Amino acid sequence: MKKDKPDPNSVKGISRRNFLKGFGITTVGAAVFESGQATKNLKAAGLLNVSDSIPIEGAKMILYVNSKEYSVHIKPKETLAEVLREKLELTGTKTGCERGSCGACTVLIDDNPVNSCMFLAVDAVGKQITTIEGVASDENLHILQNEFIENDALQCGFCTPGMIMSSLAIIKKNPAPDDEYIRKNLSGNLCRCGTYPKVFQAVIKAAKG
Amino acid sequence: MRKNDLEKHVTGESLFADDINTPEGTLYAVVFDSPIAHARIVNLDISPAMISRGVAAVLTADDIPGVNQVGGIIPDESLFAEKETHFIGEPIALVIADTYLNAAIAAKKIKAGFEKLEIITDPREAFIKGKLIMPPRTFSRGSTDAAWRECRYIFEGKVDSGGQEHLYLETQGAIAIPGEGGRIRLISSTQSPTSVQKTVARVLDIPMNFVEVDVLRLGGGFGGKEDQATHWAVMAALAAYKLKKPVKLILSRIDDLRMTGKRHPYSSDFKIGLDDNLMMIAYEAVYYQNAGAVADLSPAILDRTLFHATNSYFIPNVKATGISCRTNLPPNTAFRGFGGPQGKFVIEAAIYKAAEELGIEPSVIQRKNLLKEGDIFHYGQAAKNCQAINCWNDAEQKFNYNELKAEAAEFNRNSTLIKKGISVMPICFGISFTNTFLNQAGALVHVYMDGSVGVSTAAVEMGQGVNEKIKTVVSQTFSINRDKVRVESTNTTRIANTSATAASSGADLNGNAAIIAAQNIRQRLLDFASGLPGYSSAVKPEIRDGEVFLGGEKTGLLWEDLILKAYQSRINLSSHALYATPGLHFDKETNTGNPFAYHVYGAAITTVSLDCLRGIYSIDSVRIVHDSGKSLDELIDRGQIEGALTQGIGWLTLEEVVHSPEGRLLSNSLSTYKVPDIYSAPKEIQVIFLEGSENDFGPLRSKAVGEPPLMYGIGAYFAIMNAMKAFRPGKVFGIDAPLTPEKVLTALYDKI
Repeated sequence: MKKDKPDPNSVKGISRRNFLKGFGITTVGAAVFESGQATKNLKAAGLLNVSDSIPIEGAKMILYVNSKEYSVHIKPKETLAEVLREKLELTGTKTGCERGSCGACTVLIDDNPVNSCMFLAVDAVGKQITTIEGVASDENLHILQNEFIENDALQCGFCTPGMIMSSLAIIKKNPAPDDEYIRKNLSGNLCRCGTYPKVFQAVIKAAKG
Repeated sequence: MRKNDLEKHVTGESLFADDINTPEGTLYAVVFDSPIAHARIVNLDISPAMISRGVAAVLTADDIPGVNQVGGIIPDESLFAEKETHFIGEPIALVIADTYLNAAIAAKKIKAGFEKLEIITDPREAFIKGKLIMPPRTFSRGSTDAAWRECRYIFEGKVDSGGQEHLYLETQGAIAIPGEGGRIRLISSTQSPTSVQKTVARVLDIPMNFVEVDVLRLGGGFGGKEDQATHWAVMAALAAYKLKKPVKLILSRIDDLRMTGKRHPYSSDFKIGLDDNLMMIAYEAVYYQNAGAVADLSPAILDRTLFHATNSYFIPNVKATGISCRTNLPPNTAFRGFGGPQGKFVIEAAIYKAAEELGIEPSVIQRKNLLKEGDIFHYGQAAKNCQAINCWNDAEQKFNYNELKAEAAEFNRNSTLIKKGISVMPICFGISFTNTFLNQAGALVHVYMDGSVGVSTAAVEMGQGVNEKIKTVVSQTFSINRDKVRVESTNTTRIANTSATAASSGADLNGNAAIIAAQNIRQRLLDFASGLPGYSSAVKPEIRDGEVFLGGEKTGLLWEDLILKAYQSRINLSSHALYATPGLHFDKETNTGNPFAYHVYGAAITTVSLDCLRGIYSIDSVRIVHDSGKSLDELIDRGQIEGALTQGIGWLTLEEVVHSPEGRLLSNSLSTYKVPDIYSAPKEIQVIFLEGSENDFGPLRSKAVGEPPLMYGIGAYFAIMNAMKAFRPGKVFGIDAPLTPEKVLTALYDKI
């Protein structure tokens, strides 16, 4: 399953030209899959002609992950979690339930936390995707990552990437989150080791900077 | 601070089984399992799956070169069902294809015909029908028959406790990679690498030295990967062996939930007798354990229920009988506490009921009957370094128990619909595998010529911080910076005959083994240093903070230089050591002996608020005094205590494993099975470590910490009961865990 070696480069942004360069070539056969929201998004972004549909066997598309462009073959039914883990080899994103119930696969799309196991990869085309691998910058850990370590806010580590992504969304959206805001926005992330009190502390401290 | 490992976790760099890059051409396996809880297999047609897209093979029992047997304690469990199925989720065949999806599609095409047989899901029904895993076991001391006559008060009752899904966030899985000459290498998410190795060898009919099992880390285990990680690894190995290709088998969550066992549900009867002074003088309990379809670890788990029948209390006359009942559910298995929590829940329920009848607080009976130094447990062992009363008294004083109680009472006087409840939960938990021979561990320490140290042990890291504790004891033994020490993966080619990382014993057994190995090397280094020019054997050199000292003075010879010199002088810089816990023995005929190296004690005060209109509650605070001996790492231990507590609360409050009468798991996803989230975790957890407790058996005088704190969660159950009582003072409630909000609500009102 790990074919389609990713092709990251550091060019920022995504252009219609780049997108269409890969897309379309493989548009063969009559079978087409209408991912309603996906095609709407693509069309709205001007990345897909109004008359085009995404072929069921997929097409080459550009994903913008952690400030890098990846040219990758995506099938319309593939989830973002599958594409990240299996095609881009970004295995920091974990799948715990495949049903959007545990939060381990949380990534940010344009700063909004989403369960990538329930999110079609094609819907992420044209958007900024941030995964756990993109949280630290230039060898420096993000303050949240430091606070998770300092507060011992993890044990087995499997829920941690999702927990940090949800926490990152919290502090990005709300510089002074109150207790209820933090609880509410972390309530979709399960930690079976039971580190909740420490995660809570880590987020409070990171928010205070 | 276990910074290095944590850094990998927070950056997404750490690898779990499913993250490890597999070789080109790796195949994917999906299990085809029984849809009926008890049936004869009339026919099985795998041909439609064989011709499905991408399929490499479909394997059944017929393809097994060795024996179709994976049972651990009792050989009663097939890898693949042949003639009969015994639970929904029992594997029948394995489909291997080029992608996971193709394997899953093909598995759906297998056609099987079944003739349904009688389905039993209730342990008491199984008992009546004679469906037992093994003959009942009884632990007894004194004579309850004689003691009843001396009792002023006798109370009897029935107690039920439910199952619990492990919900390790990383599902079960393994990767098998064939090597030359029929060798198999496995990457397995298991707590018990040797169980995997031994069972692969048995099923493939190859010697154990042809099987290598490597475990880097687990995304949670909690006992669920002690015995039940084996099956998937064996299946992957069988497929790799047959197809000569790497095979990956990772269970989807829904398959994992359906196919694997849980914590054992118990239904129990108790009879408790007290004298005029409220001293418990007689206690009888019969535990009907719902074992599921096969033995798995049920006999050992039942034993631990019997060992912990009296929790932290001394009762002179005890008769505890355990009956392991065979039902048509997936085999229930180890789960943090290993039967201990079920045993403790019954005695706490008995005390609660006695207090209710007598119109007093349970804590009065609890406090009076706490174990004292030298008291003999009903299995013949004496309580040594007994901290039961110390923990209780500390909790009572340091957390102002009487004040908390008065506050709750005052609150309840002024509040109609919200009621507070408070409880005290003491714990006493025996440390050691109750199967004595398992209390051994190996460690291999290498000092490389640059002074860096590599340590391998039998311990599996699953979030409990055992690797960090091992790093601590090795760096302290050498007296070098901990950054010089690296703990390697757990691997059967480096450490043979590993006991499972279970029974809270990982740090104890493996830490002690690592200390012995490091001491061996240290001694060689010191002997070597004594012979260096300028050193003499009259003044013993020592290593302190990474430097050689002579007569208390620095010599300027650094650890790295010492190691290089020793290497060049052909000193052995590696050591393998075995640690075997001394003094353990247990007679399985009389059920007496010295099964535990020591006991862990503690006491927790739990306060809850109950919304009596809706039945919902919150755990306001849990305040704990815990005996960790001389803790190896307070930060790690605190995490273990908080996490285990939350799991224990989950078991008794929210988490409800539900099966249909047909044996189908109804709580088969995270939308129908509720585990604690950030809202249901206690709002406040305070942990104080008991002072002055030391332990001869733990590494650097520490105590094990993994399981015991789970049982503080029992306090939440009785705190909620007390809040219910505050709302309906005269009403008598049954004891049937978990106490879900739904159950609370229906219990509070006579009509809804």
